[in-house]
Amino acid sequence: MQGRDGRQGARRLQVIPLLQQLRHAAVDWRLVLMGLVLAVMSVVFHAMSGGIFLSPENLYNIAQQTAVVGIVSTVMVLVIVARHIDLSVGSTMGFVGVLIAYLQYTAGWSWQASCLAGLAVALLVSVYQGGLTAVLGVPSFVVTLGGLMSFRGAAFLVADGKTQPVSDDFFVNLGGGYDGAIGVGASWVLGGLLGAALVVRMLLRRRAKQRHGMALQPLWVDGLLAGLTIALLLGFVAVMSAYRISSKTEAQGIPVPVLIWGVVAGTLSFIVHRTRFGRYVFAMGGNPDAAALVGIPVRRVTLMLFALLGVLITVAAIVSVARLNAGTNSLGSGMELYVIAAAVIGGTALSGGSGSILGSVLGALIMQSLDSGMLLLDVPIGKRMVIIGQVLIVAVVFDVLYRRYVQES
Amino acid sequence: MEPLVELVDIHKAFGGVRAVEGVNLTLYPGEVVALLGHNGAGKSTLMKMLAGAYPIDSGETRIGGQKVQIRTPAEAQSHGIETIYQTLALADNLDSVANLFLGREKLTPWRTLDDHFMEVQARQVFQRLNKNFTNIRTPVRRLSGGQRQVVAISRAIYFNARILVMDEPCAALGPEETRMVGNLVRQLKAEGVGIFLISHDMPDVFELSDRLAVMKNGKLVGTYRTADVTEDEVLGMIILGKQPVGKTQAFAPV
Repeated sequence: MQGRDGRQGARRLQVIPLLQQLRHAAVDWRLVLMGLVLAVMSVVFHAMSGGIFLSPENLYNIAQQTAVVGIVSTVMVLVIVARHIDLSVGSTMGFVGVLIAYLQYTAGWSWQASCLAGLAVALLVSVYQGGLTAVLGVPSFVVTLGGLMSFRGAAFLVADGKTQPVSDDFFVNLGGGYDGAIGVGASWVLGGLLGAALVVRMLLRRRAKQRHGMALQPLWVDGLLAGLTIALLLGFVAVMSAYRISSKTEAQGIPVPVLIWGVVAGTLSFIVHRTRFGRYVFAMGGNPDAAALVGIPVRRVTLMLFALLGVLITVAAIVSVARLNAGTNSLGSGMELYVIAAAVIGGTALSGGSGSILGSVLGALIMQSLDSGMLLLDVPIGKRMVIIGQVLIVAVVFDVLYRRYVQES
Repeated sequence: MEPLVELVDIHKAFGGVRAVEGVNLTLYPGEVVALLGHNGAGKSTLMKMLAGAYPIDSGETRIGGQKVQIRTPAEAQSHGIETIYQTLALADNLDSVANLFLGREKLTPWRTLDDHFMEVQARQVFQRLNKNFTNIRTPVRRLSGGQRQVVAISRAIYFNARILVMDEPCAALGPEETRMVGNLVRQLKAEGVGIFLISHDMPDVFELSDRLAVMKNGKLVGTYRTADVTEDEVLGMIILGKQPVGKTQAFAPV
């Protein structure tokens, strides 16, 4: 008996290091959990909607509809990480969007010039609000609460409340829609290139670690992670390529807004992990006093952060106006709530110092899927709002409990 | 020998409160000067001015005989002044490596963070201070008090401080770690680093310092060679602001 127990013990010991390796692997288990929530939610909606939810058409629409909120959410993560907030993102986007549409329709500018003018105005707004926060120390909550109202008013003033249609073909395609996707061939090429890039990056990183004499995680762990990411990526390409609008002969492929969102999320992830600016934003959120004492230029970093927000609000405004084929003074109304909710559901702590870009992507997708799923099931608007609000609470409660569990606070 | 640091007639007020009033203090290479006084006596304020955290209202700072203006922590660092704060000034959400290099990250030629270089360097510095410190990639909030102290101290020694300010370096430490800090102070001293040591712990002060300066209500009570005064006389200065009878002040070592 003893001998057999011993053998079993030995076998168990072999299994444990395997699990530990996985546990210590560079995986954010919280993000994995959110991915699982999203998957379970999708399957449940799929079953309840009689097989509509997971159809290529519905997934395509969800991806496309989430892009505008998703784009602003990525940078909202950084703003919240740095212990600030911006409640005026919806209003500013409306203001900038109407301006871009007005310059094209009423003033007859080219879409390029209009967008540049929009960018200049967005930067002005962001740096004005960021400056009051960074230089004078006025809480960003108050500054942007004022902005929430002022810039909504400004959105009305630009075109005297009149809707401004846009018609340039290229510009309109930036918002997705009928011709607003890159096609099947380009989608697969892009997917393939990204997959190859992931593999190369993994190998380069392993080689660099080896050269510096640092411990490597086993090849199979790295390989498994890269493989899963690539599988997800190609799966996404396959779904987008399976959707064909019935009046067209070609299938759609990746919608342009989603492509823009992907580029934005990738760029911001790079900024967070690989640049000084990203590290300073997190340091300022983790301990503002320490950040100042070690010589981080806190004011400059805060101003740069708000300027980055201005850039991405412009991008979101362009996508949003192009998607609606018009700029209206109500563009982006209430969007600040969705943007902040996506960041928070994605694991960004409102107390600052913690959050991830990928989390905001998942958070935005969870919100939009929930909304679309309930829409498919004919849940009335009142109930949808009640439920989405409570989901936000659940996310925050989970956040508090999770942080207590991993002893983060 | 030329003094490393000369603080001349330094004044600082917060609103109506005169936190530091007409203080003169010198520090020589390879010397440890202990700074004592009650809470609110002005020691930390004085040191924060040297570290660039507060601007000086009036007075002069000289480093190596040169008059300097220290307006920011980065300027203090460029003069070789490193500070270990009592609060440690760590970003709790970042790991030890990020904290060691915070504000002075090593970049690759493409202006991105050179994480591998920083990790290898950090490992060496931490090893020198604590052999058992290996979990350098976990956020510092999950480290023990001693390990957090190691990170804060590493910041000073990695960047080759010429002038080191230590604000209560042993307050949160166990006996073994306190001994480690003591050894480090002696080692840095031998390398010619000048050290200001703020401490409430009398045995530490008498064991480590060459001179001691006592402050009370923002003013300097006196500066003496540590070997010339007794613990009771020092306490008299701290509590009553009274200079010991028959002892001469010392404005330079030996």
